[in-house]
Amino acid sequence: MPNNRSEVHNRNHLPLVVRDLSYCYGQLPDMALNQLSFQVRSGEIVLIAGSSGSGKTTLVRCLNGLIPHSYRGGQRSGDIRIFGEEPAALSLAEISGMVGSVLQDPEKQIVASYVANEIAFGLENLGVERAEMRRRIRLVLDRLGIVHLHDRETFRLSHGEKQKLVLGSTLVLEPAILLLDEPLASLDAYGTEETLSLIRHLADQGKTVLIVEHRLERILKLRPDKVLFLVNGEQHYFGDVAGFLAMADPSEVKLPAHITLQRLHKLGAAVDTVEGPEVDVRPEVDVRPKVDVPPIKQAFASKPATPLIHYENVSFSYEPDDPILQEINFSLFPGDVVAVLGPNGAGKTTLAKLAVGLLRPNRGRVYIGGRDNKTMTVAQIARVVGYVFQSPRHMLFAPTIEREVAFGMHNLGFDEVAITSAVPSVLKAVDLTAYMDLPPLALSFGQQKRLTIAAVMAMQSRVLVLDEPTAGQDFRHYTKLMERLLRLLEGDARDDVPEAMVLISHDLDFALSYANRVILLRAGRILADGPPHEVLARRDLLAMCRLQPSSLLELNLQLLPHTGRLMPANMLSRYIPDLEELRFDIS
Amino acid sequence: MYVSWRYRERDTVLQRFDPRSRIIFTICVLFSLVQFWDLRFILVFFVLGVVQLWSAQLTWAETKRFWSVLALVILTLSIFTSLTGGAGAAVYESYTPLRTGTLLFTGIPVAIAVSVEQVTFFVTQIVRLVTFGLFALPLPYTIHPARYGIAFRRLGVPDKFAFSTDLAFRFIPSLGQDFQMTLDAQRARGYEVERRGSGLISQIRNMVPLMIPFIVGSIVRSEALIDVLDMRGFGTRPRTWLEELRYERRDYLLLATSLLLLLISTVMNLLDVGNFWTPSFLLVDTI
Repeated sequence: MPNNRSEVHNRNHLPLVVRDLSYCYGQLPDMALNQLSFQVRSGEIVLIAGSSGSGKTTLVRCLNGLIPHSYRGGQRSGDIRIFGEEPAALSLAEISGMVGSVLQDPEKQIVASYVANEIAFGLENLGVERAEMRRRIRLVLDRLGIVHLHDRETFRLSHGEKQKLVLGSTLVLEPAILLLDEPLASLDAYGTEETLSLIRHLADQGKTVLIVEHRLERILKLRPDKVLFLVNGEQHYFGDVAGFLAMADPSEVKLPAHITLQRLHKLGAAVDTVEGPEVDVRPEVDVRPKVDVPPIKQAFASKPATPLIHYENVSFSYEPDDPILQEINFSLFPGDVVAVLGPNGAGKTTLAKLAVGLLRPNRGRVYIGGRDNKTMTVAQIARVVGYVFQSPRHMLFAPTIEREVAFGMHNLGFDEVAITSAVPSVLKAVDLTAYMDLPPLALSFGQQKRLTIAAVMAMQSRVLVLDEPTAGQDFRHYTKLMERLLRLLEGDARDDVPEAMVLISHDLDFALSYANRVILLRAGRILADGPPHEVLARRDLLAMCRLQPSSLLELNLQLLPHTGRLMPANMLSRYIPDLEELRFDIS
Repeated sequence: MYVSWRYRERDTVLQRFDPRSRIIFTICVLFSLVQFWDLRFILVFFVLGVVQLWSAQLTWAETKRFWSVLALVILTLSIFTSLTGGAGAAVYESYTPLRTGTLLFTGIPVAIAVSVEQVTFFVTQIVRLVTFGLFALPLPYTIHPARYGIAFRRLGVPDKFAFSTDLAFRFIPSLGQDFQMTLDAQRARGYEVERRGSGLISQIRNMVPLMIPFIVGSIVRSEALIDVLDMRGFGTRPRTWLEELRYERRDYLLLATSLLLLLISTVMNLLDVGNFWTPSFLLVDTI
C-alpha cells in the first residue's frame, strides 16, 4: 500500500528536502525555477509566497510529481527527496499516498457527481475494498465536520463546502505532506477562518503543510513556521515569518497594514516606491495633506437629475422558489465609485448582469441613462455600461492584443480613426503597451485580466463595471491599475473616460481603498448603501456579510478623525506621527 | 441553474430496477423498434413507452426542454425526408396521389403533388421517432448518476471508459456553463449573434469570438482534469467501485422480457411482417 510508504520512512527521513532545484519548461527560454534549496520538518507549515509568475505553481508541480509525470519535455535539475525518495522515480499513485495536493480552484478538482463518490475516487483507484472505503469516507467526513453532506450532489455545494470536499478527498489517502495551492482564493472571511483552523489542526497532528497564498494577512494567523519567498523563479528568502516581514517590499507584497506603515517609515524615502501622488515624507498629523490624496470625488454630495443606472424594485430568480435578488433599489450617479461587497452567492454578479441586459428582472425595472433597459439590446446598453467579466478566459480570442481591444469598438460602430487612437491609450492605462503584438493567450493570467479591462474601457462606456478585479492579480499591479483608473475618472470630463465605476468584490481592503460608496449585499438584498467610513464601521453588518475587519480597516477607523475618509496603507502613513502610539490589537 | 435535468429519488418501480437491466431493456426495445415500419406495430411500442414514462412520474416542468428540442429535431427530420421522399424511397415503392381533381374553372385534371405514401410515411416516422424519445427520455431522470460507471463496468466496459460516463455527468453541464459565460461576456462587448451579413464565410467568422474561448477553455479544463485524475492515481491499476449493484428477481424478469421482445421482433422481421403499411381507406378514396 503506497499510503503506508510515508509512515515507513517517517522516522529516518525529513518529509521534504529540496537541493539546487531548477526547472525550465521546454518551450520557454527563462528558468521557471532557479536553484531552490530548503528543508521541511514534520508538522511544519511553510508558506510559499511570491507574485504570479514567480514559480510557485511550478514548484508545486515538481513536488506532487506532475512534473515530470504529466508535464514532459521540460528540464529539471537538482534533487527533491520526499521521505528520502525522488518523486520522479515513483508513480503518481505512489506519490499521492505521500503528498496530497489541493489546487486553486476546487471546482476543477471534483470529478464525481456525489460527495461520497468524490471522496471514494482515490481509494477506488488504489483498489481499496468497499467496506474499508465506506469506513474511511465516514472518518474523513466526520473529521471535516461535513457528515451531513454524504449524499449531496457535488454540483450544488457552496464554495466553502467544495473546498472542504476537495481537502477531504485528499486527506482520505492519508498523505503525510499537504500541498495547498491558494486554498483561500474562493473563500469568504468565515470560510477562510474555518479552513485555516483545520489546517492548523492537521499540522499540530503531525502533517507537514506547504501552502501557496497571496493573502498574507490571513495566512499569518496560521502561524506558519517558515516562509519561502520566490521572485522570478529564484529563492529570495527562506526562514521565519519575522525575517520575511522585515525584508518584503510593501509595494510588491500586501503586508498587514501596521507592518506596511512601519516599513514605509523605516524606508523613509521609500514612500516613492509606491506609485501614487507625491507626498512629503515627513508625516503630518491633524492636517489634511496639501497634496491631494487619491482622486476620489465625494459621493453623496449633490446629485444630477438622471442617474446612469437606476434599479427600481428589481427582483430576480432562476427558479421561482429560489430568489437571487429581491427588491433592489439604487441609483448610480456620475462620480460614484461603488464597491459592491458581499459573500459568495449574495447576487453581486447577477446585479451587474441585470444592468447590462444579459438577464432581465422578473419584477421591477432597470433604467440605463433614464431609459428602461427592456427596450434596449445588450449592444445598446454596452454603450452606457461596460462590464468586465470575472474570468478573462471567457473573453479572449483575437490573434493580437490590439485586435482584442478593437473588437468591442468595432461592434459598437466606432470608425477606424477612433479605434487607432484609442487602442494605445487604453493599453497604456493597463500597462500592456509593451505586448501590443502578442496574442492575448500568450499573456499571464494577471495580464489577461488587465487586457479584458482595457478591451471594455476602449468601448468608452459611461460606467465601468469590474467583477472581482483583484482575483489573480498581483498587489502591485492592481494598485497601479486602480490608481490610474481613479485618476482618469477624476480628470476633466471627456467622452472616452468612464464617469462612474462599480467594483464587485469580496475583498474588504480593496473596497475601502478605492471606493467612495459601499453597498453591502447579502442573500439578494441590499443591507447597506453609503460612504465607506460609515458602512464599513458597522461590525454587525460586516459579520452578516461574512466579512471580517482587516488590519487596514481597523487602522483606518482609528485614524478616521484625522483622515476623514478611508484610504490605502501607503497614503495612511502620512497621518501617523509615531507608530508606537498606535494600538495594534490585531494578532 | 444551468443543468438541464436533475436526478430525483422518487421511489418508483422504475428506479428500483438495476441500471444494467434498464440499459439492456432500452437497447432491446430500440433494436426491436427499428425493425418495424408498420404504424400499427409501432403504436404498440408507443403505448409501452407511454406506460414507462407514466411510471417514471416525471413532471412537465422537468422534461419540457427535452421535449421541445426533440420536437424540433423530429419535425425537421420528418418534413425533409417525407417531402423529398429521399429516405422514404427505401421503405415504399408505390406512389398514389392523395387527391385528384380539376384545376379551378379550367377543367384541366391535376393531382396534388403529395402522395398517400408520403403522408403515411410522414406520420409513421414521427410516431416512430417520438417512441424512440419516449424510451430514451426517462433514463437520465431515473438512473442514479453515480451508478452509470459501475453499471457499464459490470456490462463489460473497461474501467477507464466506464468511469468516463461518471465524469460526463459532471463535465457536460460545466461545458454548457462555460459556453453561456462566453456568450454573455462577448455580448457585453457589443457582439451580436445574429449579425447582418450573409454568406457562409462571414457566418463562420462571426462565430470566432465564441468558439475560440470555448475551445481554449475546454482544453484548459481537460488538462486540469487530467492532472487531477493523475494525482489521485486514476488508471494505474484495476480499480474498485464504491457503488454496488445486485440483480433482483424483477431484474431477471425484465431481462427475460427484453430478450423475448427482441427475439419476436427479429423473427417477425425475417418473416416480412411489419413492413410499411398504408391505411387502405386512404387508398380507396383516391382515383
